[in-house]
Amino acid sequence: MSLSAVDRFLPAVFSGRRWALPPTLRYVFGRILGALLVLLIGAFIVFLTMKAAPGDPSLSALGEQAPPEAIAAFRLQHGLDQPVITQFASWLGQIAHGDFGNSLVVASGRPISNLILSRLPTTAFVGLYALTIAVLSSLVLGTVAAVWRGKMADMVATSIAVLGISMPDFFLAYMLILGLALGLGLFPSYGFVAPGDSLLGALHASFLPALAIAAPMAAVFARTLRAALLEVIRQPYVTTARSFGLSRAFTFLHFIFRNALIPYVTIVGLQVRYVLGGVVVIERIFGIPGIGSLMVDAAFGRDYPLVQACMVTFLAIVLLVNLLVDIACTGLDPRRSR
Amino acid sequence: MIGFGGGRFDRRQVFKGTGAAVALTALGGWPLPAVAADRVRAGITGYSVINTLDPGKATLIPEYYVLWGLYNGLLAFDEKMNVVSDLAEGFAAVDGGALEFKLRSGVKFHDGSVLSADDVKFSFERLLDEKFASPNRSKLAEVDRIEIVDPLTVRIHTKRAFAPLLTFLTNARTGTQILPHKAVKEMGDEKFGRTPIGTGPYRLQEWNANQGLVLAAHEGYFRGAPRLKTIEVPLITEESSGVTALLGGQIDLTSTAPFADVPQLEKNKAIKVLKQPGLNTRFISLNLRKAPFDDVHFRRAVSMAFQREAMVRAVLFGEGVVTNGVLPPALGPFHDPKPRDVTTFNAERARAELAKSKYKAKDQKFAVVTWGSGWWKRIAEVFVAQVNATLGTQLTVEVTDPNAAYARQKSGDFLASVWGWTGFVDADEYLYDILHSKGWRNFGGYSNPEADKLIEASSRELDVAKRAAICRQAEALVMEEAPVIACFCSNIHNLLSAKVDGFVQKPYGNYGDQFPMLTVA
Repeated sequence: MSLSAVDRFLPAVFSGRRWALPPTLRYVFGRILGALLVLLIGAFIVFLTMKAAPGDPSLSALGEQAPPEAIAAFRLQHGLDQPVITQFASWLGQIAHGDFGNSLVVASGRPISNLILSRLPTTAFVGLYALTIAVLSSLVLGTVAAVWRGKMADMVATSIAVLGISMPDFFLAYMLILGLALGLGLFPSYGFVAPGDSLLGALHASFLPALAIAAPMAAVFARTLRAALLEVIRQPYVTTARSFGLSRAFTFLHFIFRNALIPYVTIVGLQVRYVLGGVVVIERIFGIPGIGSLMVDAAFGRDYPLVQACMVTFLAIVLLVNLLVDIACTGLDPRRSR
Repeated sequence: MIGFGGGRFDRRQVFKGTGAAVALTALGGWPLPAVAADRVRAGITGYSVINTLDPGKATLIPEYYVLWGLYNGLLAFDEKMNVVSDLAEGFAAVDGGALEFKLRSGVKFHDGSVLSADDVKFSFERLLDEKFASPNRSKLAEVDRIEIVDPLTVRIHTKRAFAPLLTFLTNARTGTQILPHKAVKEMGDEKFGRTPIGTGPYRLQEWNANQGLVLAAHEGYFRGAPRLKTIEVPLITEESSGVTALLGGQIDLTSTAPFADVPQLEKNKAIKVLKQPGLNTRFISLNLRKAPFDDVHFRRAVSMAFQREAMVRAVLFGEGVVTNGVLPPALGPFHDPKPRDVTTFNAERARAELAKSKYKAKDQKFAVVTWGSGWWKRIAEVFVAQVNATLGTQLTVEVTDPNAAYARQKSGDFLASVWGWTGFVDADEYLYDILHSKGWRNFGGYSNPEADKLIEASSRELDVAKRAAICRQAEALVMEEAPVIACFCSNIHNLLSAKVDGFVQKPYGNYGDQFPMLTVA
């Protein structure tokens, strides 16, 4: 089930007469319930997938030479001998109390909530950094391509966009390291500086990873913006506005650009999940201590509760962003705001 | 060229970045490459997890990398793999076959307490305690009791002659490092594993799970306080990221290197590549309980059906040597360099052997299990391609991840799987563990009573030359039946920034023990 399907389905369920709440409240209420349902389903799917994968956390946690008794004790202690459904239910029970449990392997015995809280700002920083780069560059490229459509500028901007879409982020990451870090020595090739320690240092150290995550997104954004602008430019109301004697620039900004922003913002919102996907790979390459690298290591080590916690965090972020995008789009649509 | 905004956007950002760098350098607060002379950043590459720093519980290679700098054993290896003194000044056999160790006096633990025979007795008895369930218990399994003669003298009585004992008491991948009795009792095992206390040159200062550790010099170290006061040990999951981090100046040395990069890195003047044949063995693990590998002729046919030299070139980029058994060349007299027919490529002999088998090549369509995307996967690819070409089988490669592959080895859910071991210092850990019918690494279920007897006899023989001869004899006997398909032994590598000196590499892949030896220009 896609996220949006649930989003759209639920408000309808609660729009019956018995739920005679004010429309806005009903909307928000439905959205939150829908998000929780998606979280639950998502958590269950990930749980089953992890359990279906061969392997065992005790092999990672206790090491290759662990005697059978130690493995049995480990499984008993962490309830791994229980049926999968029981395990999921007890995990849910824990979550309901706001407890993610303890890590089994990656940070054995330590509380997962602390791990997530200490890693979340890092991932948020790199993700927002990448998003900012993608948005800023796509606004420029998309607009240039639309305004000078069919000209050289359009060709260049569009070519860059195609290149950005077709290049995998990990490949781009290594190319950037090779060219800008090892070749020109402009950026560090590895490591992370916390924004709290030095904001400029953080912007500098995380530029390459952010750019690697941003490039494919920026390309999609730019193409979307270009298409949306061209679509709007052809609308009769634009011609009307121009015929009233409004200037080119004014028409562009108020009639074309604003309306084209709605599909653009929607795409930006949808693409946030690619930020998270990019973060998972890129964090490992650059050694950034965020949630992405944590989740990968957790998955490899079969650290079930940690994978679950990372996944819930990621899913929650996606759902939150979707909600924000919807609100933003409502605000942007001139027909709704008036 | 690269990616998005090769034009204006990129350049603008680059200039912005440079501007920031210049500004910060001027301010002097820039956390970048320059190596301060009293600290070194020693990356652990290819690993992301350290579970414990308690030698009694340690099993993972990265755990040992750090342990070796935090603790000492009674003994140690020098660079020629001779057993030399460490916490013990000397040792001698006494009447009744016990080994007597004289401890150095005045050795201090990180908490200031002084090492005594009681700590040695405690450390070993803890390892032997079945309730403690140490993964390293087998190292001392032949020990009968530990006797304190005086505060600096301890005797180890074994149940019978046990040749590997001395190597198992070294500060290597053994778990027999010496702990402070009082501190362990006060903290409890769990806590001690996270806040370890040893006699080693460094003590644990900081530990961020999944990220790295910081070690601080142990000023009371018995060989004198280390020169470098701080060692940062980041955990770098991707080996290739370790290389870029070193090249970019973000770390000063690595614990490993990707084979594919080595030939090129050796030409780079900014770094030094240390390498030598390692104490490891790589093979195709076979499940002898299932068809077709329950048939010795089929196993022998497969073993003769591929060129190991081609594998070393394609998989290791030449960074290794082909092997004819499980005992690696770095074991010296224990290794038999003579080629064997059964581990030498010969298409005709392979097909003749196959003809004797009860299985037909065309029926063989199973998968060879491997994992990841790097050299482990290539071993399987090269193996499968060659065997199919020679014998007409239709083997395939099944790629999974290390945890799953290991789980399947243990549960027997495989027919053939790429496998290997590294860092083991004694012939017994290879021969007994992998090929003895009771060996715990004998995942394929191989059993040969005659070989079992020889392997057992080898560990009772205290004369090294005689013992080595028995080991070679046992290996020769076993390999004729090809219970595993021996492939190669790979080189071990450390990459060092050109500014770093003093690291002495040993074949078992040492690391933390060298931290006090390092100098930075």
